[in-house]
Amino acid sequence: MERNVIRSGSKLAPSSFSAAPHALSLKGIVKRYGDLAAVDGVSLDIPRGSFLTLLGPSGSGKTTILMSIAGFVRPTEGDILLDGARINDLPPEKRNFGMVFQGYALFPHMTVAENVWFPLRVRGQSFPESERAVMDVLQLVQLDHLKDRLPSELSGGQQQRVALARALVFKPDLLLLDEPLSALDKKLRADLQWELKDLHEKLGTTFIYVTHDQEEALSMSDEIVILRDGKIEQMGKPGDLYEKPATSFVADFLGKSNFIRARLIASTGPDQATYAVGEQEFNLRPAPATVGPGETVAIALRPEKIDISVTEPETTNRLKATIRQFNYHGTSFHLRVSAAPLGDLFVTVQAWRCGITPSINGELWISWEPEAGVVVRETVAIDDRPSPDGV
Amino acid sequence: MTEARLTFGRCMVLGLAWTILGFLVLPMVVIFPVSLTDQYYLSLPQESLSLEHYVKFFTNEIWLSATGQSFIIATCSTIAAVILGTLCAIGCWRISSRASEAVRAFMLLPIIVPTVVQALALYRFWIDLRIVDTYFGVILAHTLICIPYVVITVSASLANFDLRVEQAARNLGASVSQTIRMVVVPQIMPGILSGAIFAFTISFDEIVTVLFITSRHIYTLPKRIWNGIQDHLDPTIAAVATLLIVVTLLLLLAELWLRKRRDAARANR
Ligand SMILES: Nc1ncnc2c1ncn2[C@@H]1O[C@H](COP(=O)(O)OP(=O)(O)O)[C@@H](O)[C@H]1O
Ligand SMILES: [Mg+2]
Repeated sequence: MERNVIRSGSKLAPSSFSAAPHALSLKGIVKRYGDLAAVDGVSLDIPRGSFLTLLGPSGSGKTTILMSIAGFVRPTEGDILLDGARINDLPPEKRNFGMVFQGYALFPHMTVAENVWFPLRVRGQSFPESERAVMDVLQLVQLDHLKDRLPSELSGGQQQRVALARALVFKPDLLLLDEPLSALDKKLRADLQWELKDLHEKLGTTFIYVTHDQEEALSMSDEIVILRDGKIEQMGKPGDLYEKPATSFVADFLGKSNFIRARLIASTGPDQATYAVGEQEFNLRPAPATVGPGETVAIALRPEKIDISVTEPETTNRLKATIRQFNYHGTSFHLRVSAAPLGDLFVTVQAWRCGITPSINGELWISWEPEAGVVVRETVAIDDRPSPDGV
Repeated sequence: MTEARLTFGRCMVLGLAWTILGFLVLPMVVIFPVSLTDQYYLSLPQESLSLEHYVKFFTNEIWLSATGQSFIIATCSTIAAVILGTLCAIGCWRISSRASEAVRAFMLLPIIVPTVVQALALYRFWIDLRIVDTYFGVILAHTLICIPYVVITVSASLANFDLRVEQAARNLGASVSQTIRMVVVPQIMPGILSGAIFAFTISFDEIVTVLFITSRHIYTLPKRIWNGIQDHLDPTIAAVATLLIVVTLLLLLAELWLRKRRDAARANR
């Protein structure tokens, strides 16, 4: 029922709800509340038609940035440019940006159809004139059969779609979404992720999406901006951010990571380095550009990039380990192993090709490719970070 | 033992409560039989019950004109107080800063200041404005007196109104005035109506200020009753009072019903 909201065979042209895509730039946005800088010097270029996600923990300033774009928060410093024109002083109702609010903010005294009609009505369109557009967009989100219900008579997922339809019906220049799925249960959320992405492809409108859910960000975005304490920590394509986190915060927030504090010894080839923990040496490829031999570095190592085996593997990056704890997740095993001299490490292995049956205090070998480790800047102390959840 | 002590305490409290309630209600209840008296002075019925004083009220030019005047004044000041009070409450709610809280507290001042003091102040000021003993003067005074009640009831409605709904309307292209008209006002209607009922009741019953700022031209119903008592103890007063009590009760019941609906709407959210 909730699935396949966007009918692929639908006759209407979804492009009738999208204006030509627009590009947005933020230049040095700062927003202070007293002494607290909720947003602290954020500069961004959002290309036309892209799906950009602002990702960060609660309180990192995501909503404040989105509200500045929508015109409800006036930045203390900085400029907001739409296709190069400054829009700081434009009131919200003149900006023509659609927005799906956290909690949806539907009008409780209006029916679904009246809610969706509202943006056309305030633009002076009578109902007969705009009925077609209202019905088309309701069809697009598959709610045409519920058009006479009140919002209080709808499920969470349906309310979310009304909010989406209402934000799209007037062909907004941008669509802003503030944690639109966070109130829904997990399965429905996964379905709606597909649908939102599908909608983005069909409409071609620029989407700016806010979430604190890293999986959501990874699966949907063209580009992710990771925020911490009102500042941009790192931005880039989902794959690049996941594979090449620049900081310990990113490595830990986007997916899960083990961290190894090691001493860089030498570059053993043009493109290869060696690092040591105690007497144990490991290989790293490529050699880090920013740090030289002798320095202490933090290396992030993803749990799923660690292999396990019963017999000793033929590689430098290998250690004998003991299983301390394990969880079964259907698709995978999550292991917590203890491997001197690194201490506790988390390892994820696909359950159906796991060569061993895990048991507490079971012995095994762990190994990883030289490419698996990434040197990160330590923006969050790696020693007292909370352990990855799920284990 | 505990029970006995409890029972004694309970008896005391209950007795006191009923006595106070009796003091509050009995004078009102006694008005009703008095209004049915067959005598021509203020008294309880002697031989039989009679509706002649009600007939007198509805046929006497003086009483009807006083009722009409009160009605006009109460209606106009209610409309003015509802518009101004609602706008004030919405404004304070939207700005929602320390300054707007101060404004809201300031608006409640007329409730706190003793009525006589306020009436005297209005009288002095109204002389300078040359609006003593005019409809406009009384309506203006009653508007000022009623605004706080509207501000209170509307603010109560706004307290559980999601600010994001208002922002959503602006985001969807509605100007500030469109947002207030199409989104905010429909949702705080119960609060506005409660305020209107309060304002109407207060203006219709108000006498102290009226005695100060009117002389020969304006004769509201309460003022006519007051004069009636002073001239001769005409039982028509009791008939009028009974009618007033019934109308006020009906209005207050309507207000209660509205408040119930408002609370139900809140519970739904
Ligand atoms: N109106 C406000 N007044 C004071 N502080 C605020 C206000 N709005 C947000 N903040 C603060 O700014 C920071 C960022 O908030 P927000 O943008 O809502 O974060 P996020 O959406 O990422 O959870 C938080 O510390 C929050 O407490
Ligand atoms: Mg937020």
